[in-house]
Amino acid sequence: MKARHLVGPALVLCLAASARAQGLSLSLSSGAFYARQDVYREIYGTSFPLSVEARFELKGGFGVSAGLIRLRDNGRAVAVDGGGEDYPLRFDRLTIPLTLFLSREIKGVVLLVGAGLAYHSYREKWRTVDLVSEGKRAGPRAFAAVEWPVLGRLSVLATLVYESIGTGVESPLGGQVDLGGMQVLGGIAFRVF
Amino acid sequence: MKGAKVFTAVLLACGLLFIFIFPQSTQISLVKILKDRGPVWAALERFQIDVRQELETCFLALADREDLAALRRHRVGFFVLDRDARQKDYFLVPLRGPSVLDELLAVGRAVAVEPQTAVFWTTIGPPLEVLPSGLTCKPLSSRSVLPFLRAPVEITRAAPVGVSQDPIVELITAQVSEAGLRSLVQSLQDFQTRYASTANCEAAGEFIFNTFSSLGLDDVWFEPFAFAGAYQSRNVVAQKTGDTYPDDILIICGHYDSISPAATRQTLAPGADDNASGTAAVIEAARILASFPMDFTVRFIAFSAEEWGLWGSRDYAAKARNAGESIIGVINLDMIAYADAMPEDLEVIVNGPSEWLAERLVAAASVYADLAANKIVDASFVYSDHSPFWDRGYRALLAIEDNPLQNPYYHQTTDTIDTLNFEFFVASARASLALLAELAQPVREGYPRTPVGLTVAPVVYRSLFNAVKSARLTWAAQAEAAGYNVYRTNFSHLDYMKLNAAPVTATNFTDSGLRTDLPYYYVVTAVGTTGLESNFSREAEVAPDRPTLTTQVPDLNFLHMLRAR
Repeated sequence: MKARHLVGPALVLCLAASARAQGLSLSLSSGAFYARQDVYREIYGTSFPLSVEARFELKGGFGVSAGLIRLRDNGRAVAVDGGGEDYPLRFDRLTIPLTLFLSREIKGVVLLVGAGLAYHSYREKWRTVDLVSEGKRAGPRAFAAVEWPVLGRLSVLATLVYESIGTGVESPLGGQVDLGGMQVLGGIAFRVF
Repeated sequence: MKGAKVFTAVLLACGLLFIFIFPQSTQISLVKILKDRGPVWAALERFQIDVRQELETCFLALADREDLAALRRHRVGFFVLDRDARQKDYFLVPLRGPSVLDELLAVGRAVAVEPQTAVFWTTIGPPLEVLPSGLTCKPLSSRSVLPFLRAPVEITRAAPVGVSQDPIVELITAQVSEAGLRSLVQSLQDFQTRYASTANCEAAGEFIFNTFSSLGLDDVWFEPFAFAGAYQSRNVVAQKTGDTYPDDILIICGHYDSISPAATRQTLAPGADDNASGTAAVIEAARILASFPMDFTVRFIAFSAEEWGLWGSRDYAAKARNAGESIIGVINLDMIAYADAMPEDLEVIVNGPSEWLAERLVAAASVYADLAANKIVDASFVYSDHSPFWDRGYRALLAIEDNPLQNPYYHQTTDTIDTLNFEFFVASARASLALLAELAQPVREGYPRTPVGLTVAPVVYRSLFNAVKSARLTWAAQAEAAGYNVYRTNFSHLDYMKLNAAPVTATNFTDSGLRTDLPYYYVVTAVGTTGLESNFSREAEVAPDRPTLTTQVPDLNFLHMLRAR
């Protein structure tokens, strides 16, 4: 299945969900991404993703969420043999998650847990050498979130996301590259209806 | 009843022992591993397959069950040629005619592994004695050649740069004398036979030794070796030691033994073309180069027992590798004087890693000998003295008049001096000498001395998906140098490209942003105060990363992904 094949079903699902939705929330959040692989952390450190998400609430606390997550990082190539040169790198990742979730309100606080798939497009570029690696992959995604209403339709949101993004590509640093890891996000959500 | 149970248990235990222990521990097969099916190079490396011969399209290897299972697992194509390879001697035989395979099958087992190559083995007697008369053969290497194999690199060479004529090389090649070659061939033919194992062959070796000794070279010696279980013979080696790089060696060689049909070979095997011609060209090269100081050491070698299965060169190449000798290249001259029609071309046969030698000979033949030469890359042409050098990881070429051979006197008692074409012979000798002189680099009066001590230390920089290399070059300071030029190429000894705009004044240089999958070769020159540039230093290499076995996941295939998880 190619990446473009995901977009159609995702749109249809979102449209269907919005038609039947009993509630819609939009959220904007940011935070930190802790990569699962040491080599990623060694090169890029901790990253700061930016996430925009739409949440459609259906019946019985179930719902569908979709969004867009942007992650951009700057790093430096690792010299295994102790070289003194500097090769700056840039890593970009765009993620489109599509997840099913279950929400429960306890004492005014909304708890959400969900799982689904995410489509990832990534690009690593050597900024001073003509080297670029790009790829598109889909992988599983799970999240847990807590939402506190603060003012009218506005809420504060804290989210924990886990993703696995096996690229199937052998890394020169050893093993296969997995771009997945844990995201800790904080932000605000706005309840449209 | 109890007895029956015990009997059954013992029977089962024996069965298990037979199935799980015996076959796995003992069965070694001779296999043909295809080069074009699956990740062959990476699999050979990873599982340390016991490769005994590289051919153009395949490898011949000894493999146990675990090896075969690993190859199968990685979808490397192979065929089992002989299930039980223990204590057998295998020989490669060229299929030079439709009846050869039948002739081999009449006296043993034979399998065609390529259209022009068969593997032969037999259990009815010593293979060399039962092989049909007149057939050339090469035994499979006695040890793995895997450490010396090099995976081909996917890179295309741009159009070759034209070779300019070097006045000193021109002076050297002009000294090749038809009279000298004629006299040497006649002298060798006059031994009547030079069939290895005969006294005449040993006398011919003595003659070559004495001739070398009379030339004023730095050293001449015999290298004795045993062959075919019962015989002794000697390679004859002469050396012109390099002024700048005494430990880096170029070899020009030819075999001096000869053969004719079984009924006559003990008494008459004149071998004028095969291979008094090659031997004479080697001696002529020695005579001429004796008076020219060179940067690199040159060895002139006359091998023996080639016709028995390359015994002399196999012994020499094995000893050279064991001694860690740095042999830059080998020019093997075998049958270079018969022309079936004029103008005759010279065929230059090489394996992949030795391709640069052929490129250089083709260019030298054109510039210095007005001779057309054709490069043939064929790792399956293993029936002359260049082949054992390939097996030990050295670069070597074979220069030969025709492929396939056209000489009707080949291996006959009629292979005599009157059948040779001396115009072609002189041109062949000039071309090979020109290549040798270019590579050995004559020392030039008034020019800065050639830099020494060039070393290269690669540093690898890695990201998640890619890597680049830097090469840190250092060399020894040259007293009369005002600066240095640094050259780089992806093709050993070819197409050097200058990296620095103005001469480098330091004795180090860093070349950055290199690909990890390509080889890089560097040389430096010294530039004098008047702008004169020295010869090239010896080459320093940054080797490409070896291929590894990888598991590629198809692009965004959910079914595959789920299965994988």
